[in-house]
Amino acid sequence: MEAWLEFARGPLFRIAFFLMALGLLRHLVLTLYNVWRGMRRAGDKNLPWKTIFINTMKWLFPFKNLNNRLWYSITSVLFHVGLILTPIFLMAHIALWERVLGFGWPGLGRSAADALTLLTVVTGIMLIIGRAASRESRALSRFQDYALPPLLLVPFVSGFLAMHPSINPFSYTGSMLVHALSGDLILILIPFTKLAHMVLLPTTQLVSEVGWHFPPDQGVNVGIALHKENEPV
Amino acid sequence: MKSPYSYYVEPFDLNERPRRFLEAFGAILRHSNYGLVLDTYARTSAKCSRCAINCPIYENTRDVNDIPCHRSERVLRIFRRYFTLSGQLRSRLWNDFTLTDEYLDEMAEHLYHCTACRRCKFACPMGIDHGLITHLGRWALAEIGITPKALVVATREQLEGKTHNTSAIPVPALMDTCEFLEEELMEKYGLPIKFPIDVEGAEMVFFPAVSDYLLEPDTLMGNAAVMYATGGSWTIGTQNFDGIDYGLFYSDRMWDRIVKAEVAEVRRLKGKIALIGECGHASRSAKVGIPAFCGKDAPPVVNIMEYTHRMLMEGKLRLRPNTIKERVTYHDPCNIARSGWIVNQPREILRAICADFVDMSPRGTMNYCCGGGSGLVSVDEVRAWRTGAAGKRKAEQLRATGAKYLVAPCANCKKQLKEVIEDNNIEGMEVVGLHDLVIKAIDFSTAPTYAQDVAAKEEK
Repeated sequence: MEAWLEFARGPLFRIAFFLMALGLLRHLVLTLYNVWRGMRRAGDKNLPWKTIFINTMKWLFPFKNLNNRLWYSITSVLFHVGLILTPIFLMAHIALWERVLGFGWPGLGRSAADALTLLTVVTGIMLIIGRAASRESRALSRFQDYALPPLLLVPFVSGFLAMHPSINPFSYTGSMLVHALSGDLILILIPFTKLAHMVLLPTTQLVSEVGWHFPPDQGVNVGIALHKENEPV
Repeated sequence: MKSPYSYYVEPFDLNERPRRFLEAFGAILRHSNYGLVLDTYARTSAKCSRCAINCPIYENTRDVNDIPCHRSERVLRIFRRYFTLSGQLRSRLWNDFTLTDEYLDEMAEHLYHCTACRRCKFACPMGIDHGLITHLGRWALAEIGITPKALVVATREQLEGKTHNTSAIPVPALMDTCEFLEEELMEKYGLPIKFPIDVEGAEMVFFPAVSDYLLEPDTLMGNAAVMYATGGSWTIGTQNFDGIDYGLFYSDRMWDRIVKAEVAEVRRLKGKIALIGECGHASRSAKVGIPAFCGKDAPPVVNIMEYTHRMLMEGKLRLRPNTIKERVTYHDPCNIARSGWIVNQPREILRAICADFVDMSPRGTMNYCCGGGSGLVSVDEVRAWRTGAAGKRKAEQLRATGAKYLVAPCANCKKQLKEVIEDNNIEGMEVVGLHDLVIKAIDFSTAPTYAQDVAAKEEK
């Protein structure tokens, strides 16, 4: 099992990390390229940059948008805070990042990390319950919407148990193996699931605006493509 | 056979609809920027259902089909399956979704259960613009013939009919109407207020919703009075005097052709500005469509309320305060308010002339749609849905204001709100245009001297 653990947090982690990085980079580059291409084709080149920037910031730091479904929104924001900060600023992780990236950064204290982990787990469970309990969310949910939150919690729970041997019913190595494997799986899944919004979210307001900027000849070209150019209305 | 749609459609080809729909969809994606939008939305949509709270229609019906994200998913699903690599791969590996006639019929019904008011956009953490998806989905459906008949018939008359306008008003009738309105103005105000027709070289060429000539004479008289009082250089063109553009609601191909006809008229008359009357969709379709479809030297678009507001601010239009004693409230047409374009201008005008102006809540960019948006107001057969499911929330809002005059500067909103008031039994409320009230408050005593004012200032 030790060898498996070494594999999971050694080569497999590196592969997973680079798959994630490449996938996300591809999303970002393609999206920005298509924004550029769209605006080059568009008849009206003016974009409301200020509105786009404000709206983007509003949703990256959504403190003003909590009023709509207040508890759900607060839970969701806290969940994201834990989800983003813990993997990056946990001391043990920074060592891991150093192995891949070659540099590190200051980390969180032990108790702060514990608190963030528990916060993520509790809010994550609340979100799953919220999704299942809300009529609207149930009607919209796909398989990945139910499957991803529990999967995201696996490394948090297993990591927490591994760090607290006194309450851990499983072996340290076993917990760590689950922790590392699930973490790797998540990294690989990120570019292929809705988790890709971690890089695409800052572009969506821009993309929506570009959507309303049409190429001048789109109507004519669609007419020609469908052999309708001379067809009456 | 019972129609699968709540609206009437013209007979259309039933053969191989899914294939033809996909062809149309593919052509649209290829030649437009929608592909980028769908690609991003399909990847990011988190299905959080926050949009449900912002949709006044869902709030009333509680039908999950009316959740904006649920509606958009119908279009996104087709995109994912047929236009992405992963969708094509998945369908080869196991049984996946296949586009069928039934699916298209359901989608066609539900895309017309949306007024494209875009209020839900503000609730989406992912910034998904469901109005844009409705817009796109309807275009693709239009290419296989599924569009409410009312919209197609009007557009056909506008683009290919004898009269070139959606209400089929012939030019002599237009001239008669304008003459009659001039007489009416003379009688009421004793002033030679004109409706200048085909004046070459006028600065602004005027495009109201053409139905105003039939239904809203007071609004038009108000428009002309403001022009008279401020010395505005404007004209109505006889080749094209209709700002209505149903292309915005069902087909970019038509949108393109309609705004090009408007610009052609501005150019024929050697005008500089396309001046749009009190109409939300006419203003937005021109404001967005003209720079997009008509080239770099396309004329700028100004809404008449913007003009009136500017004149008021510059002191060229003098309004008598407290002229309107009764309580007045203002309805924001989604097409001009949602983007924040025209929100405060009409309110400042109203505050200048009303003794008792009250606002609705929510308002401005977060207003509720009248319920007839996206062309549905013209679809008479869905009136019960419009004033019930879609208009009930608005009705409650209207009732809460207790206003006598409801100012709705939009031809579509006006018709819809009149029906909302009737069907929801709201007593003593009258729907008017903004300029219907402005004309009552214009201080004409100083108006004719305006030209002298300018001359005097220049001398100094």
